[in-house]
Amino acid sequence: MPHKTVIIGGGAAGLGSAGGVKAANPDAEVVVYTEFEDVAYSPCGIPYVHGQEIPDFERLFLATKEQYVQVGIDVHYETTVTGIDTAARTVQVAGEGAVGYDTLIVATGFEYADPGVPGGELEGLYYVKNIRAAMEWDKVLDSVKRAVVVHATPLGVEMTTSLAHRGIETHLIDPHPWPLADMADPDIMAPVEESWRELGVVAHFNTTLQGFVGQGHVNAVATSDGELPCDLVVVATHKTPNARLAAAAGLKIGSTGGIIVDERMATSVPGVYAAGDAVEVPHGLTRVPLQGLTGSHAYAQGKTAGVNAGGGTRAYKAVYVPWGTPAGKWIIGGASFGETTATALGIPYVLGQAQGISRARYYPGVKPVKVKLLAEPGSLRLIGAQMVGQEGIKERADFLAMAVKHGFTFHDLSTMENVYSPAIGALNEPIVVAATNGLDELRKAGKL
Amino acid sequence: MARTSFSRWLRENSQHYLMVGAHEQLAKRYPGTRGPRRPHGPLELAWLRVFAPVYRALPWPLRHRILRAMPGSHRQTWAPPPERREPAV
Repeated sequence: MPHKTVIIGGGAAGLGSAGGVKAANPDAEVVVYTEFEDVAYSPCGIPYVHGQEIPDFERLFLATKEQYVQVGIDVHYETTVTGIDTAARTVQVAGEGAVGYDTLIVATGFEYADPGVPGGELEGLYYVKNIRAAMEWDKVLDSVKRAVVVHATPLGVEMTTSLAHRGIETHLIDPHPWPLADMADPDIMAPVEESWRELGVVAHFNTTLQGFVGQGHVNAVATSDGELPCDLVVVATHKTPNARLAAAAGLKIGSTGGIIVDERMATSVPGVYAAGDAVEVPHGLTRVPLQGLTGSHAYAQGKTAGVNAGGGTRAYKAVYVPWGTPAGKWIIGGASFGETTATALGIPYVLGQAQGISRARYYPGVKPVKVKLLAEPGSLRLIGAQMVGQEGIKERADFLAMAVKHGFTFHDLSTMENVYSPAIGALNEPIVVAATNGLDELRKAGKL
Repeated sequence: MARTSFSRWLRENSQHYLMVGAHEQLAKRYPGTRGPRRPHGPLELAWLRVFAPVYRALPWPLRHRILRAMPGSHRQTWAPPPERREPAV
């Protein structure tokens, strides 16, 4: 009998796991259960189809169903796993009964936090997740004149921008004072807010959701600021781990609500692994567990879980969280801590900031790039960064996450070499200027 | 199980109100920045005006120890942060 791994979930973590098992043990039997009609597509691309930057949903598919059959990954579509018996090493599958496994990978993903207000049963509330549903909602959007996006989370920010691009009158409500306020800094988000205004977005900050209003179909959103009439609501509340099956099976759950795992993505139960939005992993600097990261984190965790579940050895590392996204007419991003999160945790820091450019100042298409670096006082080791610009944000975020991980200081960054070529990079790299400015400020203050 | 539930409740609330406290501080630090809405009711006031200042008054090493004492993935086996190495050649 070949080794058999069962995977619950067909998202980035689930499919990454399937590939990991096969890489470690090509003869392994791999069975994936998903509640949805498809696997191997990019849900992160859905807002951009709605915004008509991407012409159709077909482009979001990464592989065909036949390709999974060819590599020996048996995907059971529209199939629900209702329970896990870790003692018997079986999962209970609707329509199939008890299915045995040698190793199990839980990749059950996330759920949107319940808005917890009246009217949640109304039609016209769109939770962006499943591509088939998104295809149907996209047809609905053709007739939508006015939409409300609930909460300025990463998805809420993307959907706000996309609906505005599509020409829909878009209102955004959020209980915090600026968008992405639990991760991004106000000076980083200020240009985004301004560009939303130019796109016709009406943002309502410090505004709480009180209910969805309508008879059968939503026609308004009740808020602490009054009622907002609308044809459609995008509910983009924060992501919570879908760890119910795991918890019911006795797997240990952490303070984030995510499944507790180690660097092998092994859970508290032997033979059971977990990955993706259902788990929590430690931050590289503080070691405080985090949950609800990006698709690339989920995929890499899945690979690790799969290799180990297949009999191989692979370790996942604590995270430094490079991030970035388009927002309005800007691209925002960063790594590890910003001022908001460092201040909330009470972590002391010093700043180095610069307003730079992405190419030579005379080269057509040159874009602004603002870089803000945070460092530990004294050692001046980098603890985080945030940026807003229109070019090169992703690459800088990836680099700065590695710079945090490897303990680079303001001194290291202010003397680093950089690519200079007029079409792709300015003489003065904004990261170098920010670190140099940070050192200058410390010198002026007599702290260096 | 009860311990995990308590730790989740504590984390959710402390994270939320420490974030709101950070929004207040950043709004003061950056002129023109919108501050958070005023707290409503005794519970919000207690978190914002009692818990958050007490938390901030503790030295970071102590706060860090408390955070790391919570149950979670960080208490499992994870590789330590990378150390600086000599040049490759």
